[in-house]
Amino acid sequence: MKHYGEDDLILYYYGEAHRQAEIERHVGECRDCFTSYRTIAGTLSLVVEPAIPERTDRYGLEVWQRIRHQLPEQDAPWWIAWLRWDRIALAGAAAALVIAAFVAGLWSRPQPARPASLQATDMPADSGARVRMAAISDHLERSERVLLDLLNAGAGTIDVRDEQVWAADLVGANRLYRQAALRAGDTMVASVLDDLERNLLDIVHGPSKLTPADLEQLRVRLDAAALLFKVRVLHDELRERETAPASPRKTI
Amino acid sequence: MDASEAAAVLARARQGDGEAFRALVERHSRSVFRLAFRMTGNEQDAEDVVQESFLRAYRQLGRFESRANFGTWLYRITANCAVDMMRARQARHDQARGETLEEGAASVCSDQAGPERLARSAEIQRQVEDAMADLSPLERAAFTLRHYEGRTIEEISRTLGLGTSAAKHSVFRAVRKLRAALEPLAPAAAAPRARARQEP
Repeated sequence: MKHYGEDDLILYYYGEAHRQAEIERHVGECRDCFTSYRTIAGTLSLVVEPAIPERTDRYGLEVWQRIRHQLPEQDAPWWIAWLRWDRIALAGAAAALVIAAFVAGLWSRPQPARPASLQATDMPADSGARVRMAAISDHLERSERVLLDLLNAGAGTIDVRDEQVWAADLVGANRLYRQAALRAGDTMVASVLDDLERNLLDIVHGPSKLTPADLEQLRVRLDAAALLFKVRVLHDELRERETAPASPRKTI
Repeated sequence: MDASEAAAVLARARQGDGEAFRALVERHSRSVFRLAFRMTGNEQDAEDVVQESFLRAYRQLGRFESRANFGTWLYRITANCAVDMMRARQARHDQARGETLEEGAASVCSDQAGPERLARSAEIQRQVEDAMADLSPLERAAFTLRHYEGRTIEEISRTLGLGTSAAKHSVFRAVRKLRAALEPLAPAAAAPRARARQEP
């Protein structure tokens, strides 16, 4: 008999499980799953909404009185913002840098000829590449959350078992994505994923309770590797590639 | 205010008309406060979130797509302001929190009757608040949107700008932490049936 895990039962509790009716039937028949579900439901039933302080009809006016003298300048619509001369100059400088880096790369690193089948996957229009980019982009976002949760943890000794479980889930996926990126010749993506994997493994195999000193050490290590920065930049880059029209991929 | 009138007010507000924005503030303040309070669990923080949300909304009105729903857009801004507020106060809250949950659990799990039931109920509420305060800002936000606001995982991911998987995991992690903290207090009665999705 297939049993349902905690996550399935939580989704079932909220009416969001994919197989809602199936789980309902199973929970009715299986003592173990019934017990698990009962403890989840029992705990969540304790979490009742706190009484929300009343606000009268005049509240909106009170809020307005508080903010009316602080109203900031409105941001211009994005297309107007991008037409400002300083942005154009900045974009021009950035484009010049990218072109310079591209040309320098061509001169300093002659590329061996690659099979035509491999080159075809470089096109973002390729559905396989797009799927891979979307999956890696989602993976990077999840990884960033784990790292941020750890880095923003409060004072005192903290229990990071949940973060370790989450990081362990990410390591498996990370390995697959890194290998896929290498196969596709995407060395930049593979390199960031390699860094990420090593740091995730450090978290998984590190202590479950972090003292402030451990946490500081972790912060220093992540800062030194500029990992969060790399993850964010790559995440943005992949998002751009996902939405970009078919064109040859940038080489950084 | 009907739909066409609301659209006209919004259009004027987008052109920097303060009076039009005032109408929007008056119309949405109470719902913004309710969401802010549910997410932060603190009246003063909720007031700060209300204020910051409207200021942020005003600044970003130029980016608002007129086809979208202003209420939904403002809801998203408020939820994210609340997350920022919770992040900012996290360290200070961690230090302020006193008693351990175990001590409290021992006292409320004993047999009690009569007027003491009220005290027990208040004690449970206090422990729920403590357990909620132990969640990371993102976990608390995702859990609040799911548990109190009745939002689906899909809606939570859109509101907080997360992937669906990250939103789902934030809810799972929140429930795991709440279970660890509150299970000793949970009633041993028969399991309630699964909750249907609440309409927000």
